[in-house]
Amino acid sequence: MSIELKNIAKTYDNNSWILKGINTRIKTGEFFAIVGPSGCGKSTLLRMIAGLIPISSGDLQIDNHSVTNLPPCDRNLTMVFQDYALFPFLDVEANVGFGLKARKMDVVKIEERVANALALVDLTAVKKRKPRELSGGQRQRVALARAIASDAKICLMDEPLSNLDAQLRGKMRSEIRELQQRLGLTLIYVTHDQIEAMTMADRIMVLNEQQVQQVGSPAEIYQYPANSFVATFFGTPRMNLLKAHCTQIHNHSLVIDPQLSFPTPFDLPAGDYFIGIRPQSFTIVAQISKANATIKNIEYLGTEFIVYVELDNGAKIRIAAAKQSSLSLNERILVKTPEDFLIFDHAGRAISSMKGTQKNGRTTKQAVQTAQ
Amino acid sequence: MEEQLNKQFKPLNKIAIPKLQKLKKIGYDVNAKDKIYAFLFLGPSLLILSIFVFYPMLRTLYLSFFLTNTLGKPTVFVGFNNYVNLLTSSTYLNSLKATITYVIAVSMLTLVLGILLAQAASKKIAGINFFRTIFSGTMGVSVSVAAIFWLFIFNPSVGLLDQVTTFLHLPTINWLTQPGWAMLAVIISTVWMNLGFTFLIFFGALQSVPKFLYEAAEIEGASKSYQFFHITFPMISPTIFFISIITLIESFKSFGLIDLMTAGGPDNATNLMVYRIYQDAFLSGNYGSASTQSVILAIIISLFTLMQFKLLEKKVTY
Amino acid sequence: MKYLRHFLEFTFYIRKFLLAALIFLATVSSFGTQASAKTRTKIVFWHEMTGPAQVQLNKFVNNYNQSQSNYTVIPQFEGNYNEAVQKILNTHGTSASPALFQSMDISTNQIASSGYTTPVQKFINEDNYDVSKISSIARAFYSQNGKQLSMPFNTSQPVLYYNASLLKKYKITPPPVDPSYSDITRVAKQLYQHSDKKVKGLSIEIYGWFFEQFLANSGTSLANNNDGHSGTPTSVSFDNPAAIAAMKWIQTNIKNGSFMNYGAGTNASTNEMASFLSGKLGMFLQSSASISQLTAGTKDKIGVTYYPHLDNKKANGVSIGGASLWISNDKSLQEQRGAWEFIKYLMSPTNQASWQSATGYLALNKGSQNEPVLQKLYQHYPSSKVPSLQLSKTSPNNTNSGVFMQGLIQERTSVQTAMEQIYNGGNIRQALQEAENSMNSAVKSANKANKVQN
Repeated sequence: MSIELKNIAKTYDNNSWILKGINTRIKTGEFFAIVGPSGCGKSTLLRMIAGLIPISSGDLQIDNHSVTNLPPCDRNLTMVFQDYALFPFLDVEANVGFGLKARKMDVVKIEERVANALALVDLTAVKKRKPRELSGGQRQRVALARAIASDAKICLMDEPLSNLDAQLRGKMRSEIRELQQRLGLTLIYVTHDQIEAMTMADRIMVLNEQQVQQVGSPAEIYQYPANSFVATFFGTPRMNLLKAHCTQIHNHSLVIDPQLSFPTPFDLPAGDYFIGIRPQSFTIVAQISKANATIKNIEYLGTEFIVYVELDNGAKIRIAAAKQSSLSLNERILVKTPEDFLIFDHAGRAISSMKGTQKNGRTTKQAVQTAQ
Repeated sequence: MEEQLNKQFKPLNKIAIPKLQKLKKIGYDVNAKDKIYAFLFLGPSLLILSIFVFYPMLRTLYLSFFLTNTLGKPTVFVGFNNYVNLLTSSTYLNSLKATITYVIAVSMLTLVLGILLAQAASKKIAGINFFRTIFSGTMGVSVSVAAIFWLFIFNPSVGLLDQVTTFLHLPTINWLTQPGWAMLAVIISTVWMNLGFTFLIFFGALQSVPKFLYEAAEIEGASKSYQFFHITFPMISPTIFFISIITLIESFKSFGLIDLMTAGGPDNATNLMVYRIYQDAFLSGNYGSASTQSVILAIIISLFTLMQFKLLEKKVTY
Repeated sequence: MKYLRHFLEFTFYIRKFLLAALIFLATVSSFGTQASAKTRTKIVFWHEMTGPAQVQLNKFVNNYNQSQSNYTVIPQFEGNYNEAVQKILNTHGTSASPALFQSMDISTNQIASSGYTTPVQKFINEDNYDVSKISSIARAFYSQNGKQLSMPFNTSQPVLYYNASLLKKYKITPPPVDPSYSDITRVAKQLYQHSDKKVKGLSIEIYGWFFEQFLANSGTSLANNNDGHSGTPTSVSFDNPAAIAAMKWIQTNIKNGSFMNYGAGTNASTNEMASFLSGKLGMFLQSSASISQLTAGTKDKIGVTYYPHLDNKKANGVSIGGASLWISNDKSLQEQRGAWEFIKYLMSPTNQASWQSATGYLALNKGSQNEPVLQKLYQHYPSSKVPSLQLSKTSPNNTNSGVFMQGLIQERTSVQTAMEQIYNGGNIRQALQEAENSMNSAVKSANKANKVQN
């Protein structure tokens, strides 16, 4: 079942907007993540789709039928809550069958569906337990089982993994993804965790400051971010943003210092720019006379090092180094111009993303398009 | 039953204080000095409890086996005669019946109306704060003020209800002088008095039910009434249990409104057990009989409370 | 039980606390006004008067304290009559007990048999006090075998009040001053019918005192051994012709619709009076002490008659209600003497006259009738003389001098229950018989507990 959001907006006082101009179409069977920092309105959007709060303006369509004014139960969807919304006084079985019983479904049928759902999430052994007797991961799975048992083809999830520890979260990520594939669910998944969104979703909607920043596949979002917010939101460690100034037109590069200058894809008007470089893109040359930076701190993460560097002009950058190089604190080093970088205008909109060669027309075009 | 008890106290067993022998084994010597300290610490509370609780309790039990003279001194030991006389006296049995009617009616009405008011006040509508204040208002009303208020309403010639019935050309009801109506009148007044507190507690309980449970139910397609009976009700069941016990015991003890509104009348219709005890002890000076009634009342209250625990324990599911 | 005990204890301590506070206040105020208080003997005086009576009583105390320099009387209010009895019995022998106290009519036997008091007869003899000037029917109530136990103080007579203006409006002949039951029935019925059922004719509060007076006025004993005047009663009689006649009379009026039942207790008398004052009730029985409240509360002319009596039988006369003053024997002789001096002061013709005019309680000193303050009252409200006349015309005998027995509070409770049944249409004899049985068993066990030999 497909879902279409047409110019959806939310306000509580007809004055200030919580969300504005949300447009997108979610395809049948798609895993669609809505991601953004806390307070960006992602949960509000999900609740509007669920029908728990009214939509202030715009139209919501499911399978091309407007459901904007329908109550939640008539939208044929199900929802998994952050706190699982399990009934503490019911055992696992009854929790899973709650909705079916409320809709007065035949008892035998309920049993069958509940048993199937429990088997799918591997909870059959604990079906007589109360929620308080379960671990966090098990509770999470009860909530999933309830969603499965409802047999709705659209499933909404509101930060379902945020109460779990990191290891369990990783495991549940793949389980949910697997279930979604297996049951052919159209899944809208709200999270503040960019890794979750990147690893699970077919497509991601990035929300910030009441507005959609970008909608695209994880690769698109990562490689061609529409603006500096999206660019810095995805990827660990965070992307570096260096401020550069362009004094005159026909300047073909943005210069940070003599050793660090960035060629531009086309003539840029004079003004302020930001250069975005992922920490992995930098290379460090040690023991050199032409040093332009000092190492301030080094973090060892097992697979890589994060090197905190201060450029001679005062800018602080993060560099991910894969190999154990014999770097030490306060060592003078040379930070070289990387091959991959992005240029954003003074408002943070993407202008180019340089990849491979210095003048890659396609990437430039793509970046400019998304920025508009 | 023992098995059930064991189950219930299992967590307690685990953290139970080690026995003395064990303490000794691990080198903790419980000597005389420790015992003295123990008594020094317990002493003050034991003393206060003895004077204000244990002594009066035992004294009451003792007096219940005696006839007392004019000065309230026990003079003739009569064994269980006081008990036999009371339990075969039709007026006492009527008082018992009236008390139980009253207690059950008051408890049920207080519970149901309290929940309904709290539910109504949980709605987010304009001016709801005003109603919340009004609903909890009777908490600040003293018994005497309440009595004056209700006496005015039930007044046979200038009362509010009388004016309403006159206006509607209905027959006049003598609220406080006809037995059945008088009972109804004191029940209404007591429930009204109770509602403020009950409302507040239930209101708090309702607020503490997580909102997402209702949202989940709504998405699953449960109707509002289904949500009330299958989410709200079980979620606030510990509160219901608490309130029902409190209300039950409180209504067994009802005194003020009865004294001020009907003084036990008419025809003993509202002569509840506690009021009878007051009359026998402090008006007639029959301390023996009054003590006997106190003992019987204590037994009845404990039986009711025990029964309530047994019945409701099963319903309080988490 | 724990809760109950707590509750009872709690009320007890609250009362104790209030008592302590009152004593403190009284002491402080007496220090403030009386510089010479140190050399005076303090006489603690417990009373249960409220309203105008309390105001007047405090006036007497102040005047007395200023009139002499030997004693300081300290008045302390002790709540209602019923509770005061238990307080008096329970504090006796402690420093909290009073030297002088007021106790209600029906507690007389209980207080006397406690042995906690010095009969006032002792002081009467010492002073050669002339008691003959004090109303004999009032004295008779508080005496045993010719010995005066306590001094009658606030004394009332049960009377019938009627709204004379209302009767005039509906052109109804008022009842005679010494009416029979059927005289009253006639007026009640006429009033009810002439007013198009808007005005109720008659009301009699459910009150044991009235029941006792129906018997007294018919010359019938309520308890054996001559109402206790010749020995401790061992049984009571409620189911007797006099009681049945009175109850029948009431039921007749209930059946013809002219009777209004206000129930029992303070609420009943309050509601009854409110109805009477607002012209919705024509006649009612009440204590003569209500007269000042009634005359102050309405512009209508109020009529007063003697207590109604049986048809075709002369009234035997009713006893009194109210309370008397007792002297405790746990205080020094000097304090007891002071208490007696204060009693004498209260009983003077002038003070008794002011007492009646201020409160409606009757002046017991025969000399009071000539006092200007009473003369003025009678001139103003001629009907206010009726209770005094009823009091002075009655000569005491065994059936109209009160019932001298213990447990009269319980007697009244039982009688009132019977009256409630009868007022609600119950069988008269059955109701009376039940009440009689329950009272008889109470009398039996009380006598056993008090080791009365028969």
